[in-house]
Amino acid sequence: MHEAKNSLGVIFFPAFDWSISPTHPEREERLLYTQDQLKEEGLFDIEGVDEHKPGVATREDIERVHFCYPEVEAVATRSHMVAAGGTKTAADLIMSGRHKKAFALVRPPGHHAMKVVHGSRGFCNINIEAVMIEHLRENYGKKRIAVVDTDCHHGDGTQDIYWHDPDVLFISLHQDGRTLYPGTGFPQECGGPHALGRTINIPLPPGTSDEGYMMAMERVVMPILKDFKPEVVINSAGQDNHFTDPITNMNLTAQGYARLTELLQADIAVLEGGYSIQGALPYVNLGICLSMAGLDYSGVREPGFDAVKHAQRPQIAEYLAKLCDALPDLYFNPPRLEQTVSGGKIEGEWFVRHKDIYYDTDGISEAQTEELLLCDSCRGLLKIVSRTTKNPACLGVEIPLHACPRCRERGLALYDEAQSKDDYRYSQLINRADRQYLRHGF
Amino acid sequence: MYLGIDVGGTHTDAVALDESGIAAQAKVRTNHQDLLASVNQALESILETVPAQDISQLNLSTTLSTNAIVQGTLEDVGMLVVPGPGISADDFMLCRDYHVLKGSIDHRGSEIERLDETEARRAIEACRKKGVRVFGCVGKFSTRNPLHENTLRQMLGPDGGAGADAVTLGHELGGRLNFPRRLATAYFNCAVWRVFGTFADAVEKSLMRLGLGHVRVNTLKADGGTFPLAQARKMPVQSIFSGPAASVMGIIALCDINHDSIILDIGGTTTDIAVFIDGQPLVEHDGINIGSHPTLVRALKVHSIGIGGDSAISVLGEAVRVGPNRLGPSQADCVELGCACASDARPTLIDALNCTGQASHGNVEASRQAIAQFARCHSISPEVLAVQAVEAASEAIFKATRELLDEINDKPVYTIHELLEGRRVVPKRVYLMGGPAQAMREAVHQRFELFTVVPEHFGVANAIGAALTRNTASLELFADTEKGVMFIPALRHRENVPRNYTLKEAERDALNHLLAHLSEMGVFADRDNAQVNDASSFNMVSDGVTTGRNIRVKCQIKPGVAFALTGNGR
Repeated sequence: MHEAKNSLGVIFFPAFDWSISPTHPEREERLLYTQDQLKEEGLFDIEGVDEHKPGVATREDIERVHFCYPEVEAVATRSHMVAAGGTKTAADLIMSGRHKKAFALVRPPGHHAMKVVHGSRGFCNINIEAVMIEHLRENYGKKRIAVVDTDCHHGDGTQDIYWHDPDVLFISLHQDGRTLYPGTGFPQECGGPHALGRTINIPLPPGTSDEGYMMAMERVVMPILKDFKPEVVINSAGQDNHFTDPITNMNLTAQGYARLTELLQADIAVLEGGYSIQGALPYVNLGICLSMAGLDYSGVREPGFDAVKHAQRPQIAEYLAKLCDALPDLYFNPPRLEQTVSGGKIEGEWFVRHKDIYYDTDGISEAQTEELLLCDSCRGLLKIVSRTTKNPACLGVEIPLHACPRCRERGLALYDEAQSKDDYRYSQLINRADRQYLRHGF
Repeated sequence: MYLGIDVGGTHTDAVALDESGIAAQAKVRTNHQDLLASVNQALESILETVPAQDISQLNLSTTLSTNAIVQGTLEDVGMLVVPGPGISADDFMLCRDYHVLKGSIDHRGSEIERLDETEARRAIEACRKKGVRVFGCVGKFSTRNPLHENTLRQMLGPDGGAGADAVTLGHELGGRLNFPRRLATAYFNCAVWRVFGTFADAVEKSLMRLGLGHVRVNTLKADGGTFPLAQARKMPVQSIFSGPAASVMGIIALCDINHDSIILDIGGTTTDIAVFIDGQPLVEHDGINIGSHPTLVRALKVHSIGIGGDSAISVLGEAVRVGPNRLGPSQADCVELGCACASDARPTLIDALNCTGQASHGNVEASRQAIAQFARCHSISPEVLAVQAVEAASEAIFKATRELLDEINDKPVYTIHELLEGRRVVPKRVYLMGGPAQAMREAVHQRFELFTVVPEHFGVANAIGAALTRNTASLELFADTEKGVMFIPALRHRENVPRNYTLKEAERDALNHLLAHLSEMGVFADRDNAQVNDASSFNMVSDGVTTGRNIRVKCQIKPGVAFALTGNGR
């Protein structure tokens, strides 16, 4: 028997007792066949590949990242706490040196969950990658982190959370937003005023196959990563870009995903979407595990594979080649704020943007005003006012990690003022400087 | 009267007993070249006290299969392997006549690619040319659909015919998923098949000769159960590593265990650590390793560490250590009374226990002398050396036990309920057995800070365990109501089920088939001892519509003893 070149910890948690609804794609059955496949292949008997139990995230782990209205318990079920806890376990396994790489094979997913959470969007409530990143920063002093989101849907939640963070590079490869939920993720979306070029969107046309994905990886993702020099690389490993996925239109194969994984060399992978639970997930997950562990994955082949049928049309290659020429510039020579479509403008010392967000899974509409105090000494104080069809006016104030004294003072004053004036039904404070997470209005 | 024989690494222990207690016991040295001679010797010794006609059952625990594997006296096996896509099957090449064939079955049991029969025929021909007479046929996901294994079976022809003497099919080994383990298990089963069969013939002949022809013979398995000799002939691999199980079952027979407990079997070279949950011995999650190969052979979870009565004492800097090296027997055992021990004699744990007064085993004076000499070499007082050695031994045992408990408590679970409400194992008692058990009791008690019990007859607990262990069996049922099939791989039973087949019906069917299977083998099994270990049912959905249920049930006859000897032992 062979041994894994990179020791790999797999946090496998299929949540066999949780679903959004009995026939919803996010249901008990989702990882059943993946479990069968991994067991039958004897993956966990390979020297250096181990299965681990997830931890459970605490309220503080969530409050460090999100403004949850009215409170964490109202938007996150126990399964969300376990999925988020699973990503924390993945981080711990890497940081403790127990494993070289980790794969959080957990559900439910999280990359559509934004900074403010009123309910479920795109099957996501809690952004499990963000919980992991802030855990890495809080407990292991990590700073520069890259997230490469290969889920077929635009990772709009992760993008939103790190929009103003120059130390988190977020790259999303997804099916073009003109053809798929959530309808965002265009190249012009490239970060807030202090983090321009730290959000990179690569919209791929429907029908993109292994070839196209590899082109985008080789020509856009890898050069940018090389320059950014992250301390930790995370892959949001959604698997709905597979040619059998019922709700998307891409042509990636298990082999393609394994090759992509090999090229990326992420430290931690986190499962996101992927709903072809019989035809894709068992094989793609096996491919990812073998590839991360540095083992031979050439034998992994899904039953429905047809080299001719799943080849990429030449027009797609042409289109992608042009896209790949243009995109790296967004990172290396970011555009000026006016040229981007962040929808925001500078008003005095604040940067202000308005957002309308729809929670498709829970049917909630939200109107949001986000304000960032433009600060030269730190990331800047963040203030978000949110109104929804579910909750009246809510205020969120975030004093960022390594905040300067001025932002800290103003943040605390803003939160105090909100309480005395009673303008908001709920208000929350994330004070990273003092590890203080406060709620008011209950 | 029940007879139990445990053929161990050093000794072969035998006891004859009934509800009133032990009627006879025997201990002979194990002859590894001729295990049958050891068994005969033990039998004859017992028959000196107990009349042959009083004996109704013989349970035998033997190292035969283990020895064959360790010594490499294995028969050539023709392995016909149908892996399909995934991890390359070449990585698991176990023997020379290993043929990878085209064909594939997926996780639902659908045939994706047909078995290449021409290729299979050629492979069989190649094996026959080399004189191979036993075959293993193993396919990936054959526990979901045995089609390819069954086809290969037919191509090989009937057992004992021109084609093959014995054939092991992967799915017969049980319904658990793990293709590499299935491969290894099938291979070892084939490889020891003949040697076990020959031994079984010889044992039966001996029994006839000794007037024990009427006796029911069972073989011990590593999972704390027995199975009839006839069954063992088909699945000899299950008889491997049954020694530790015999000891654990002995404790069950001798003590009334209800709580989470730790069992320590302190032998000459090793200490075996086992864990009980709610009075039930814990079974290994997957299966034991044979050599470097993980298998599907179920076993009680037993962790062995290199600390025993004969473990050498060493001093490293300030620290006194015991084991893991065994440097021959203790001074107490090897120096004759009245003689002085060698000037460079290395004391062992037993010698230390003799010095602290916790034991008075063999030549106590030699122990004192050896400890004193060794202490002088390392400039410490003999009293301190002896006390610290005993403490070091109990510390090492304690540490290994804690690691084992952590591992058990960290076992992956797959539901939120189990994860959040899952119960942790918290031992309340320690049970000690083996040679130095009584002597180590105080030290173990102090380190573990738990109620510590050394049962009566702790020296022959293994043979008592062997004698009283009940039959066990287990099986897995898999049903797919969309396909309309139910399949019990271990019994090779496949039947059609209606679309409305439920989990409850599946559980009932699994238990009924298990009990029927046992009664077919002539074994009486109490329905109360049959239990469902795992049962799950998943709705299968396609395009938003429920298309069927995917049902999995595991059940077993739980390990146990025929009766307990608690309190009324002689």
